[in-house]
Amino acid sequence: MRNRKRTGWHRYINGINISAFFVVLFVGLPLYWLIASSFKTPANLGNSPPQFFPNPVSVGNYTDAFKNNDFGQYFINSLIVTLIATALVLILGTMAGYALGRLPMRGKFTLMVTLLIISVFPAIAVIAPLYLVLRNLGWLNSYQGLIIPYTAFNLPFAIWILRNYMLGIPKEMEETGRIDGAGPFRTLWTIILPMALPGIFTAGIFCFTACWTEFLMALTFNSANQYRTIPVGIAEFGTVFTVPYGTIFAASVVAVVPIGILVFIFRKFVISGLTSGAVKG
Amino acid sequence: MTTTSSDTEQVPVAAPLVGRPDVNRKRMARLGWGFTTPSLIVIGLVTIFPIVYSVVLSFSAATVTGNGVALNGFTGSNYSLVLSSSKWHYALGFTIIYTLVTVLVELVFGTLIALVLERLTAGRGLMMALLLIPWSMITVINAELWGYIYQGTYGVADAILNAVGLGHPNILGQSTPAIIGLMIADIWKTTPFVAILVLAGLVMLPGDIYEAAEVDGSSGWSTFWRITVPLLRPTLALAVMFRVLQAFGLFDLPYVLTNGGPGTATTSLAILGYNVIFKNLSFGPGAAVATTSALLVLLGCLLSLRTFRVQVGKED
Repeated sequence: MRNRKRTGWHRYINGINISAFFVVLFVGLPLYWLIASSFKTPANLGNSPPQFFPNPVSVGNYTDAFKNNDFGQYFINSLIVTLIATALVLILGTMAGYALGRLPMRGKFTLMVTLLIISVFPAIAVIAPLYLVLRNLGWLNSYQGLIIPYTAFNLPFAIWILRNYMLGIPKEMEETGRIDGAGPFRTLWTIILPMALPGIFTAGIFCFTACWTEFLMALTFNSANQYRTIPVGIAEFGTVFTVPYGTIFAASVVAVVPIGILVFIFRKFVISGLTSGAVKG
Repeated sequence: MTTTSSDTEQVPVAAPLVGRPDVNRKRMARLGWGFTTPSLIVIGLVTIFPIVYSVVLSFSAATVTGNGVALNGFTGSNYSLVLSSSKWHYALGFTIIYTLVTVLVELVFGTLIALVLERLTAGRGLMMALLLIPWSMITVINAELWGYIYQGTYGVADAILNAVGLGHPNILGQSTPAIIGLMIADIWKTTPFVAILVLAGLVMLPGDIYEAAEVDGSSGWSTFWRITVPLLRPTLALAVMFRVLQAFGLFDLPYVLTNGGPGTATTSLAILGYNVIFKNLSFGPGAAVATTSALLVLLGCLLSLRTFRVQVGKED
């Protein structure tokens, strides 16, 4: 589509495009600064005035993050916790979203409102009791100590998104399944699930992002080096005396890239989640 | 099995297979609760139980023991301690001002960006993708990035301020500049999110109203205030609610960027609560800080819910 219009660039010089250019600068410059700084040598990171282009381009910060620090371990920890929590949220959320969206149940409204309130509750309100419970269970510094809270805290929003998608599927679809003699589980699996796939993608990407970026619980529950996730690892790179910005930015670029790719590929689902999942809710 | 394609024939074929409607309805309801229960158990155990426990803790003379916390009976002293503490007053004021300023700026800039994107003829998809990157970024990374930008001897912001003749202000070393710096970092990360929310609302507005306005000779400015803004109100209200609730739980950004300082200049309610609980190990007062913040959030949520209620009720 864009190729067709690419003749004659002068056509693009107008107020809207100039404003858009400034938006790109506003969002893009700090991002550029993050990436450019990750390729500077530690000495050049301290230049005043700062270098605009890294010269020489160095990958030393990247090797430092992975070899001299345990960033590789943090990355694996984040991946384990995020993927398992997201999978659990999607399985439980799809079932609940289906029930609340399509089955006749009493007290649905109260339930949905309760879920909405829980989904906006600040984590600080529950951090002390959760810490004490996890400590008694011996689950501080463990994967399940983060997976279970992440699942619980992301479920309400996922149920909301999925319920709204389920509502949009025509009622006749289940009847088709019933006529074919399929039970409720098979109806959900073979007929409803494929149609709800966009909603599942949307809920999935929101949950993934929330788990990948979560800091307070990870900081409180998993402080041991072996179980740190990326946000905690990056926050703890520095000491009181020095902040190793090079290492931090290299690790940051590695942490931003996977989710950046994910969001880029699934941007339609993110945007539809923000509209139909929430606004129409 | 005879499946039919037309709607009129489906009902009589389906009815005998699924039994009497009321019996069927009961069975479906039971199935519904069966599907919902696993989620409710997880949510109940991990969110509702701790919330209740937190309230209990906030009313207890809790002391830290070898294997946890002893409650030691009912007391109201945690609340009287917190409510009369100047630190809590400051944290509450800071959190409220921070929330008001950032949400207002993000709403104005977000709407402007959305209006630009709506009129963009090419590259809108790429722009959206770019806007989603700050939204998906780990807040800790955002904090480290701005910490480097504000750094007192080699930060870019410092170099720019120096170039325009403001010398070398130690941005994160003074209260007001540190608060403004924190707000800018937040605004950079969250304005794109607001822009996307507003754009999604803009795209759904009916086009014929604008044609009618144009025919009536309405200027762009009055069209915006008289048509776009009123129609966008639900979207804007939702964006505001999301942001207010999020901003009120502010923790990650000041914890990493300023560590609540200089002094206590950027100590939000959440940071105060965290420090009282995990640094002073005062679980009772800490729980009181957490509970009062949660109560304020709940209040804000219930107020905003009126906007929601109509739409939820409509679909149920």
